Amino acid sequence: MADKTREELIEEVKLLQKRVGELEIADTENKKNEVLEYAESIINTVREPLIALDQDLRVVSASRSFYEVFKVNPKETLGQLIYDLGNKQWDIPKLRELLETILPEKATFDNFEVEHDFATIGRRVMLLNARQIERVLGKEKIILLAIEDITERRDIETGLEKAWKELETIKKIADEASEFAQSVINTVREPLISLDQDLRVVTVSRSFYEFFKVDPKETVGHLIYDLGNKQWDIPKLRELLETILPQKTTFDNYEVEHDFVGIGRRIMLLNARQIQRVSGKERIILLAIEDITERRGIENGLEKTRKELAVLAIELERVARVKSEFLANMSHELRTPLNSINGFSEVLYDETFGTLNEKQKKYVSNILASGNHLLLLINQILDMAKVEAGKMKLVLSSLSMKSLLSEISMLVADIVSKKKIEMLLEIAEDLPDIEADELKVKEILYNLLSNAVKFTPDGGKIGMQAKKVYSGIEITVWDRGIGIAPENMEKIFEGFFRVDTPYSRVTEGTGLGLPLSKKLVELHGGKLSVESGGLDKGTLVRFVLPIVSYGGAR
Amino acid sequence: MKKKALVVDDDEKNLLLEKDLLEVAGFEVFEAKNAAEGIAVARKEKPDIIVMDVRLPDMRGTAAAKILRQDKETRDIPIVFVTASLMGGDRKEIDAVTNSGFMGKPVNTRTFAKEISKFIK
Repeated sequence: MADKTREELIEEVKLLQKRVGELEIADTENKKNEVLEYAESIINTVREPLIALDQDLRVVSASRSFYEVFKVNPKETLGQLIYDLGNKQWDIPKLRELLETILPEKATFDNFEVEHDFATIGRRVMLLNARQIERVLGKEKIILLAIEDITERRDIETGLEKAWKELETIKKIADEASEFAQSVINTVREPLISLDQDLRVVTVSRSFYEFFKVDPKETVGHLIYDLGNKQWDIPKLRELLETILPQKTTFDNYEVEHDFVGIGRRIMLLNARQIQRVSGKERIILLAIEDITERRGIENGLEKTRKELAVLAIELERVARVKSEFLANMSHELRTPLNSINGFSEVLYDETFGTLNEKQKKYVSNILASGNHLLLLINQILDMAKVEAGKMKLVLSSLSMKSLLSEISMLVADIVSKKKIEMLLEIAEDLPDIEADELKVKEILYNLLSNAVKFTPDGGKIGMQAKKVYSGIEITVWDRGIGIAPENMEKIFEGFFRVDTPYSRVTEGTGLGLPLSKKLVELHGGKLSVESGGLDKGTLVRFVLPIVSYGGAR
Repeated sequence: MKKKALVVDDDEKNLLLEKDLLEVAGFEVFEAKNAAEGIAVARKEKPDIIVMDVRLPDMRGTAAAKILRQDKETRDIPIVFVTASLMGGDRKEIDAVTNSGFMGKPVNTRTFAKEISKFIK
């Protein structure tokens, strides 16, 4: 006989009750016993523990399964008060409530849950179903109590519920994570796609669509190689996805160059991650595509430019050396004829070998003046070249600026008095000695003073001022001459720029005095600047020489 | 007795100028247009002073000086190099020659002979 449900059992018991009633009417003792035996066998067959109590709540009958489940034996059960069963462990308040309060009022009661800690079998959750049956088994009232142990079921239910809740939480987290991942994918500028294990596109970033000029319809669910009319069927990509990635789960900076129909030749840097999906054994491949075409272009351009620059630098160095050698040779070649031009004219002028008439003397004097001018030009050009080539070396010594300045003013006194110019000197008493190249400092001062004379009308005024400043000695040479037009302020340092002056013969200057002076000042670590109020407003040249110059020959 | 001076220069005009300036100052002057000739004259005349260009057609003046320094007849004759080249390399070359001097071109005609005389001991 198969297990019967409670409802079926109840139906059977009701049927029994009915039959027993009929039997009483028939008053046949044998038949009555047969029916009782049959009822007993039903009770013993069902797997659900079942006991019958009399009106005093004493056990009349118990099913075999009752003994098995509650690990008790018939001797200590039958005839006992239910509450006293198994060493009084059945004295459960809820059971009392059911049997003493609820049941007298209602004949049946289903699914009354009782939880109790049993000495023998531990904590159990039971579902009690009770039926009150009148006049049966020779008793006035019989209570049939079916005990269903739902501990395991409850555990499973609780577990299930917990599992459901956890699943819910996991799902929520997963949803959030997936949403987050999706937003990350869509936020990054770098095109990003994810592929399943069959290399079909699962998700795609917005930037991917924008970059490769494709739309979602022809992308999601497609094999990566088939994307954009199979233009993604790139051997190097196949190598990455099919050979390299199965062995390594990540791969960075895999360079792929490919000619795309829509966007032309591109160099891409691929970064791949293989991710095991949490649920299921699916693999997901995340593929980030960085377009480095422009960067590579710039890098290549840079590299090319760098190489060209290196070649250019070598060429420049060679040119500078050639220029320097050329100038040295040139100055030698020019000085040799000058030696005889100046030498012979000087000897003639000095009348060493006989007197000259006035005209002859004047002519020879002109030859000598032009020769000396040419010599000055050669020397200045050579000096400029040396400074520019970084070959000009300073010979430093301690200089008394006071005596040097008065020496220079004596040197120009001749040309100053010739033009009846008044020269004002303001030299500070506390002028310190400086360390500098004496010849170069004299050259600077001579250049500036002779310029002042040159650009000042007869009977005008020039001046020189020297004072101690924080960074060294500041010397100012000024004149009230023709000045410099604003548009020429830049040009005066370019070399060979000469201002026409009505106060002097143009041929006197070289146009190199000021630029060379500036360079020599800078070589000492100083600064030279020129100021002018404009045309006919005079000129002021100011320069500072540091107390100790650097860059000198040691 | 007149002091003997040997002038070695391949530029005839310079040679003439220097010769004239030294003669005016009372020197007996011998001339040579290249190094080999200069060495030969120096050995023959044993001058009190040699005035020599650095760039000579057959060899550098300093190389000629080295040869003169190896010969005991000419070893102690002072040599004044007159050169138009002012580059640093030339100076070092000249300084390496014992008992020598240096003078830049163009020469100052008014002081030339006097400067040369200073090198004679």
